[in-house]
Amino acid sequence: MSTTAPSQVLEPDTGTEEGIDTPWVVIVWNDPINLMSYVAFVLRKLFGHSRAKAEKLMMQVHLEGKAVVSSGTRAEAERDVFRLHEHGLWATMQQD
Amino acid sequence: MDKPIRREGEGFVVDVAPRTVELIEGLCDEMETLLGTDSPLLERLFPPPYGDDVERNEGYAALAGPELIDQRVEALRTVREVLRTKRVGEDQMLAWMRSINDMRLVLGTMLGVTDDEDPAPTEANEQAFGVYEFLGVLLEFTVSALSDDP
Repeated sequence: MSTTAPSQVLEPDTGTEEGIDTPWVVIVWNDPINLMSYVAFVLRKLFGHSRAKAEKLMMQVHLEGKAVVSSGTRAEAERDVFRLHEHGLWATMQQD
Repeated sequence: MDKPIRREGEGFVVDVAPRTVELIEGLCDEMETLLGTDSPLLERLFPPPYGDDVERNEGYAALAGPELIDQRVEALRTVREVLRTKRVGEDQMLAWMRSINDMRLVLGTMLGVTDDEDPAPTEANEQAFGVYEFLGVLLEFTVSALSDDP
């Protein structure tokens, strides 16, 4: 149900300034409202991380202000951003 | 004493006080109304994903936005169901979790929670502050119950 919309957003990505092969990364930003336990749980749930891996990522978000949580094609990144937004996490994507 | 939200058998039990039921039902109604507006209080629920790229942000908002709203309204309906039935499955528990977190995001935005130091409650926002903190406790219980391996 929730995975169809983002892929429809895509226009053909024939951009010249951004290489087509360069992967997109999904970033979760630190925010003062979301609880640390909640962020760790969502990362575990959405990406299938172990408890330890999810907590490490969450701590990176908390201490460094952000963390890359996934990477892939634009469509894949947009799908992950969408799932994170469903859970109220502050997620963005960019081509690195 | 049993925790108010806990895993039991195949599912979960949500056993909260009647005044909590009343509070959450009220918040569900307010959230549903708010979701039909373009209030700035919703900004944390719909962050633009593409940084400064206005065109792509608009494209995302146009297609993902309505789906994110529908999904949230649906989750609020599940929350009302959870309050009624008190015994729920994992999907309902997850919808409850997302809704309680959405409510915290809106209240936190309203209260101006902007850095890691929580702002101090004032006389004017004391009540909203209390609700914000209470939702945090409920969310902790929820995450803890969901994290318990069956």
